[in-house]
Amino acid sequence: MLLAVLFANSEGNILVERFNGVPAEERLHWRSFLVKLGAENLKGAKNEELLVACHKSVYIVYTVLGDVSIYVVGKDEYDELALSEVIFVITSAVKDVCGKPPTERVFLDKYGKICLCLDEIVWKGYLENTDKERIKRLIRLKPPVDF
Amino acid sequence: MAQPFMKKDDDDEEADYSPFLGIEKGAVLQEARVFNDPQLDPRRCSQVITKLLYLLNQGETFTKTEATEVFFAVTKLFQSRDIGLRRMVYLMIKEISPSADEVIIVTSSLMKDMNSKTDMYRANAIRVLCRITDGTLLTQIERYLKQAIVDKNPVVASAALVSGIHLLQTNPEIVKRWSNEVQEAVQSRAALVQFHALAVLHQIRQNDRLAVSKLVTSLTRGSVRSPLAQCLLIRYTSQVIHESAGNSQTGERPFFDYLESCLRHKAEMVILEAARAITELNGVTSRELTPAITVLQLFLSSSKPVLRFAAVRTLNKVAMTHPMAVTNCNIDMESLISDQNRSIATLAITTLLKTGNESSVDRLMKQITNFMSDIADEFKIVVVEAIRSLCLKFPLKYRSLMNFLSNILREEGGFEYKKAIIDSIVILIRDIPEAKESGLLHLCEFIEDCEFTYLSTQILHFLGIEGPKTSDPSKYIRYIYNRVHLENATVRASAVSTLAKFGAMVESLKPRIFVLLRRCLFDSDDEVRDRATLYLNTLGCDDSEVETSASTNEFLFGSLEVPLANLETSLKNYEPSDESFDINSVPKEIKSQPLAEKKAPGKKPTAGLAAPPSGPATTVDAYERLLSSIAEFSSFGKLFKSSAPVELTEAGTEYAVNVVKHIFDSHVLFQYNCTNTIPEVLLENVAVIVDSSDAEEFSEVASKPLRSLPYDSPGQTFVAFEKPDGVPAVGKFSNMLKFIVKEVDLPTGEAEEDGVEDEYQLEDLEVVAADYMLKVGVSNFRNAWESMGADFERVDEYGLGSRESLTEAMNAVIDLLGMQPCEGTEVVPSNSRSHSCLLSGVYIGNVKVLVRLSFGIDGQRDVAMKLAVRSEDESVSDAIHEIVASG
Repeated sequence: MLLAVLFANSEGNILVERFNGVPAEERLHWRSFLVKLGAENLKGAKNEELLVACHKSVYIVYTVLGDVSIYVVGKDEYDELALSEVIFVITSAVKDVCGKPPTERVFLDKYGKICLCLDEIVWKGYLENTDKERIKRLIRLKPPVDF
Repeated sequence: MAQPFMKKDDDDEEADYSPFLGIEKGAVLQEARVFNDPQLDPRRCSQVITKLLYLLNQGETFTKTEATEVFFAVTKLFQSRDIGLRRMVYLMIKEISPSADEVIIVTSSLMKDMNSKTDMYRANAIRVLCRITDGTLLTQIERYLKQAIVDKNPVVASAALVSGIHLLQTNPEIVKRWSNEVQEAVQSRAALVQFHALAVLHQIRQNDRLAVSKLVTSLTRGSVRSPLAQCLLIRYTSQVIHESAGNSQTGERPFFDYLESCLRHKAEMVILEAARAITELNGVTSRELTPAITVLQLFLSSSKPVLRFAAVRTLNKVAMTHPMAVTNCNIDMESLISDQNRSIATLAITTLLKTGNESSVDRLMKQITNFMSDIADEFKIVVVEAIRSLCLKFPLKYRSLMNFLSNILREEGGFEYKKAIIDSIVILIRDIPEAKESGLLHLCEFIEDCEFTYLSTQILHFLGIEGPKTSDPSKYIRYIYNRVHLENATVRASAVSTLAKFGAMVESLKPRIFVLLRRCLFDSDDEVRDRATLYLNTLGCDDSEVETSASTNEFLFGSLEVPLANLETSLKNYEPSDESFDINSVPKEIKSQPLAEKKAPGKKPTAGLAAPPSGPATTVDAYERLLSSIAEFSSFGKLFKSSAPVELTEAGTEYAVNVVKHIFDSHVLFQYNCTNTIPEVLLENVAVIVDSSDAEEFSEVASKPLRSLPYDSPGQTFVAFEKPDGVPAVGKFSNMLKFIVKEVDLPTGEAEEDGVEDEYQLEDLEVVAADYMLKVGVSNFRNAWESMGADFERVDEYGLGSRESLTEAMNAVIDLLGMQPCEGTEVVPSNSRSHSCLLSGVYIGNVKVLVRLSFGIDGQRDVAMKLAVRSEDESVSDAIHEIVASG
């Protein structure tokens, strides 16, 4: 299960937070844990350089893209390898929508589109689409080209 | 031209302002009214939806009314033909997830979309419907979903399949009917469809081993397109291998070739998954491990952090069972200690600590010291735990490891980290007698400057137990007494108790301790004063020459006879009345006991220890006190052993009963722990009727029924048997629970007056030879063996017949004897054809026994065993051979 996808700005404020199968009372804990993890480790990291951690039986892969840091959390079949696949899809989709590694402003300007991308990538905790070209079409309700 | 440019520069900060700055839920909900406009403005509507999404994604919640209002408004947007807006509407409906009675509003629109000619409408309508639908609607749309699974548009097929994964949790019986379509989709040429279909198909069939095995057989031969699907297939394959392990006769592992071929796949994800699957195979041999370890080693120097992490994490696991197999990677792992990614570095360190040999410990410690300063506490804790196990593995290295622990104890760190260090030092003190004095001094130094009250009190308690038994107890007094001056009331009170323990246990220190305790009589805190007064009076400050009696010691320092958690619950339930609180009314059953025992295997006290484990009283102590408080059994003498609880009922039955076998010299006592799991009934006169016709040497002498057993409040009933003195008699007992059932009126909690007699069949229970053996380890087996001498040594050889493996044969013998494996010899290196195992224990009558087992296995898997026993008593050595011969 893909437990969480979280976007934060450089100050650690949440931009997008989507949890799956995480009880409401634990979400705050996860949010602060992830933001702290990012604050400690993402400084100086290059765009899209992946960092990885595990906490109990849960895996976390995170990265920075422009002004935005992105975290994905998973367990069981969504181990670090599957998560790196997920975060790769997410970063390429976001770059595609924003045209470059986004500033916070650009990210928020494209907020609706990014939400749609996430909706195509993650279906309540499961990876659904992995190809950015296809996602780009799907969010405009266009069928994929390779079909 | 310059001005606007300048302006932009000035406004740089403003440019970064969020378009959602000052966004407020109420205002956005107002704005959502545009959805009701007769002339829809798609752009504006999309913007409002984006704002709503932003609020939801920030963790904002809508009340029921707000959600309903938004939902109804959003459904109006189905009128618009704008494609972008329609896509937003789908998302918004999913995010609001309307309640069951509202769903009906959109179902017709969605059903229409689901049959639309536009593929993308179909795909999205499926996803939304499956998200918000309930079982009844599902049967209506099932036909369309089945069609969608085999739709030629991969997006539609994937949408239906992923919906299937979710629906399996709520409506499994419906999704199971789609098996044929899903099967067809597994053959799809679209990579993602295949991936999703495989996941669904496996979930549908997961309880049918044969079907899963067939699925794996066919797919491992065919071509699986996406790496993701390939990874799933590897997982399912290893599951099949795991389940069929017992059936293979030839020794060839099914599907191993497939796993090995995946090691050469072009996708890294697949290679790692295959390597991981191989390392996790049951009883994996070194030949099987080698190719997997080789690819993992290559990944250790990959430029991608995730691959390095995955590789080192896998190797870390392998190191727990096959440390030798990983040693080849040590050089690569040492370079990972400086990895930017601290998770990788920590895993590398802990792996190295597992695979390192005695000679590399010092070098490793040096590297770790540099590393510790720049990692977070949670990583440090992992390292500390690894160092603790390393120290237990190489006790001779305790000096450098203890030094390391004391050094990091002085550095900055949070509570959990400090606690982990303290715990480790305490364990080392207990298990390595030579480390005791230096360890205690490290602890003393730590409490001189410790900011955590909890840790200070724990250490003071521990000092009180261990300190008086050292060669020079007086040197600890200064550290303890300093606490009385410098700390808060909790720590001061704790220090007073510790001082008193020294006074009670070390006669020569007593007068001086009294001087110190008298000073505490003027403390500002009443608890501290009370404790000092109590100790001064009971330890006999008037006549300091009087030796403190055992009963005083028991009264002051013994633990309560009831588990603290139970006492706490009883006190909370106690309502002040004329009747005072009676400690005897507190249940003595330890509810979580089986769990606690499982948690701490291998932490048994060892014979090399000068002191028994302190802290919470051991289970045996608790049982001993419990039994001696019951008049019927107080004459049985000293309790030799209490078994772990044996379940006599299956989980989830109306009455849960387990039994603990207490062994005395000439008695065996069964303690039946009963729990009533039905709130509506009360049981009275609960007793177990035991039939001992299959246990000839036993005769029932006493029983103690339980007067009443209310819901969820465990109670015990006992049955005692006499047996020949000192004889390890064995036998089988059948048990029947008898009781009177009374119905309880739930609102009032009152039971009816009349009850009905009833009985309940329990599982049988056996007393076996292992019940007469205490698991007591020795820290140095060779020394113990030599000093025992060969006077009563008995050696014989046995054929154990055809066995699955050496490990299985060895475990059977260990279980039969009930002895403690020593020096890690209970682990058989993979692929070895012979193995020696060292066991130690104390046999009934308090006779020490040491056993050397040597096993050999031949090509036909026949196992031969040589058994050498040394003990303090000739007849016991013979008895051990008899147990094995008759087992």
